[in-house]
Amino acid sequence: MNRFKFIDTSPGATARRFIMSGAWWFLTAVVYGLTAATELVSPELVKTRYLLFPRIRPIHVNTNVFGFLSMLLIGAMLYALCRLCRTELYSERLGNWTMWLWNLSVVLGIFTLAAGYTQSHEYAEYVWPIDLIIMACLLMLTWNVLQTLRRRKQHLIYVTMWYLIGGLAATCIVYFLGNVMWRPSGALYGMVDAEWSWFYAHNIFGTWITPLALGLCYFWIPRESDQPLYSHTLSLIGFWPYFAFYLQVGTHHLIEAPAPAWLKFVAEINSVGLLIPVFAFLTNQWMTLRGKWWRIPDSVVLRFVFAGTVFYFFTSVEGTLLSLPSVQRITHFTNVVVGHSHLGLLGFAGFIACGAGYGALREMYGEIWSERLASLQYWLMLIGMVGFTIVLDDAGFIQGNAWRNGEVVYRVLPEIMNDYIMRAMLGCFIVVGAAIQLYNYWRTVQLHKERSAQELALASDYIEPAMEAR
Amino acid sequence: MATPRTVALGIAIIATCTSSVVLFLPAITAPIHGSATYRPRTPLENAGRSLYVANGCIGCHSQYIRPSDWTYTHMRVSQAGDYIEDSPHLLGSERTGPDLAQEGGMHSDDWHVAHFTDPRYTRPVSIMPDFAFLNDQQMTELIAFIQSLGDKLADQRMARQRYWKQKLIAAYAKGEDDNVQYLNAHVPPQWRDMPNPYPPTPEELARGEFVYQQECIYCHGEVGDGNGPAARYLHPKPFNFTLLKRQPWSGGLLYYQIMNGITGSAMPFFKDDLESAKIWAVSNYIAVEFIGEHIDSNAADSGIDAALEPARKPGLTMPPYEGPIPLPTGVTIQKLYQCCPRTQPKEPKTPCCG
Repeated sequence: MNRFKFIDTSPGATARRFIMSGAWWFLTAVVYGLTAATELVSPELVKTRYLLFPRIRPIHVNTNVFGFLSMLLIGAMLYALCRLCRTELYSERLGNWTMWLWNLSVVLGIFTLAAGYTQSHEYAEYVWPIDLIIMACLLMLTWNVLQTLRRRKQHLIYVTMWYLIGGLAATCIVYFLGNVMWRPSGALYGMVDAEWSWFYAHNIFGTWITPLALGLCYFWIPRESDQPLYSHTLSLIGFWPYFAFYLQVGTHHLIEAPAPAWLKFVAEINSVGLLIPVFAFLTNQWMTLRGKWWRIPDSVVLRFVFAGTVFYFFTSVEGTLLSLPSVQRITHFTNVVVGHSHLGLLGFAGFIACGAGYGALREMYGEIWSERLASLQYWLMLIGMVGFTIVLDDAGFIQGNAWRNGEVVYRVLPEIMNDYIMRAMLGCFIVVGAAIQLYNYWRTVQLHKERSAQELALASDYIEPAMEAR
Repeated sequence: MATPRTVALGIAIIATCTSSVVLFLPAITAPIHGSATYRPRTPLENAGRSLYVANGCIGCHSQYIRPSDWTYTHMRVSQAGDYIEDSPHLLGSERTGPDLAQEGGMHSDDWHVAHFTDPRYTRPVSIMPDFAFLNDQQMTELIAFIQSLGDKLADQRMARQRYWKQKLIAAYAKGEDDNVQYLNAHVPPQWRDMPNPYPPTPEELARGEFVYQQECIYCHGEVGDGNGPAARYLHPKPFNFTLLKRQPWSGGLLYYQIMNGITGSAMPFFKDDLESAKIWAVSNYIAVEFIGEHIDSNAADSGIDAALEPARKPGLTMPPYEGPIPLPTGVTIQKLYQCCPRTQPKEPKTPCCG
């Protein structure tokens, strides 16, 4: 057994620790989510203010976004970065510090939100000091990534790296502007505040979570299916328009609020335009798999990542539809929106993060401790996720149509109670899946610790990027 | 072509350009003047707003009225000038609970105390958590903020609530029967004279019971004596229906009070929540279950009876049953009543002049 080191500078330690933190926060976040879902069914379940639904809802959301998805995706990305550059991370020490600070911000976030300190902007609920820590982490990470890229031994950079670099560059800007970092309250005034906060809230996915997840698809799908990427032209079409369109769609959350009409128009046009890079990406990924579809059931990594791309299809098309005013008149304010965010964050980014985490750990340590447990987790999460979509959309359409018919919000609550109950039950599947993942990751890492340095070197030799530019 | 520098710079340029369009341009062109109903908040209301923020109320309650919303509480569509003071904004993205943009003055202060202590006291099927942990000062602040939502419009509603609160408390202090007479005297006479038009059939009473349990029970109590668990937070107390055993009353009187609420008391208006038939049903339920004497339901002869209910005066307006009535052969419905021609008669063509 190796002794625990606060700063572990062995190669790959940063990636591993980011992945393990992500798995831990996944379990924490979904336990909060399940508690929140149960409180919607049984509002008198807890009386303590620190566990009330309105306080743990932002904890659930932020721990998922900044704990689970961010950390797991960063870990998997750092692994891909080193493989694609055929080098080691520029500074494991800096990486370790980034990891600890990032974890610190999530811990502080949970405690401050539970205590009632919040900025009250969706996905930006963390208060100013935590924003500063995350901003510092983002800059440290950017520095580390750019320095690693400078030392790369592979001249051409692969699409995965575009997404990592682009994501970091855009997120540093979006996070700074969106959190209004120059004001400790984190807020402007009136409708301008709403427009800025939705710019941020939409782009924390558009420039941070989604690019990392898309980049990991570009890494793992060719690698697991042993096929070169289908088309680099499509990669370009999928990349540049993606950022150009995505950054402008935030106001589609305010279509029926008193925001300027031209701004809503910009948001709607770009929401529709976003389908171009989405389908370029999906065509590229799915055509890469042509003739190798049988690899999907064989590889647990590919299964997670492929399911992520299918969820990406649905969440993107749904997102465009929901941004249209005629659709939004029914769906806005309802559980359809909740379903949409679960589809995007858990279905798309979550599945890809889990799969990429398994992939990275398997290559680092030779094998996954239990493929069968990983497979079980896949099915639990798939059932839970598809179920969420069904029951939340059902609840949302009931709400939306009832309101359009003049029923008050209060009287619709009993009509969607069955959906809420089903949602809480399906949440149990996700919680068990997250627990399995944490255990499986942990045992995989433990497996490595009992191995000799020689075997580890062999495992490293095994790592060789399978994809080459056509 | 794809070097790290190209990608990083390219994305940074895209992000800067798009931010200028979707962030800075709206910021410099935003309205700086309040709307016609806007007024600044008081320090007490701002303290309540902080509590609203800290407790995450925005997770379930939106604060803007859309053009497509159309219940009575959504009479005015929100304008950008309503929000100029708001930081952070509280527009919200979910309506698990009702929109609160015009909540100020819709309910009395004591209704809010009971509601925050246990939301089910005033709203039996609510899924809102208890906020009983708020101390008295915090409760006062939070209610002050809620009652300010709607600004000048809320102030008008609150003025009405406070005016009638004084009147109602004075009437309540005079004793039970005087109080009933006072309340009844403030119902328009045409409603006081109106009997419940629907007969108290078992189905009707079952529907009424359902509505009573979903809306009324925790204030007015299981036996209609006004001693539900919410009663101890409310002043004046919820109405005791059994008092009507010794007072003149009518189905229309109950209907009017349910529809319109009693401003100043904790009795809210239900014309948003309940359709007409449901209000008549719960009115029938209250009459039969709690008052029980001289039920006026279905009493008046209004001439033409509804197709589906028993005749009001049996034998008088009900034709004798003679089995299914066949149409005469060769006669269609249209011919029988000489109406509803299925094709429009062709208009004679007039030659166009010139």
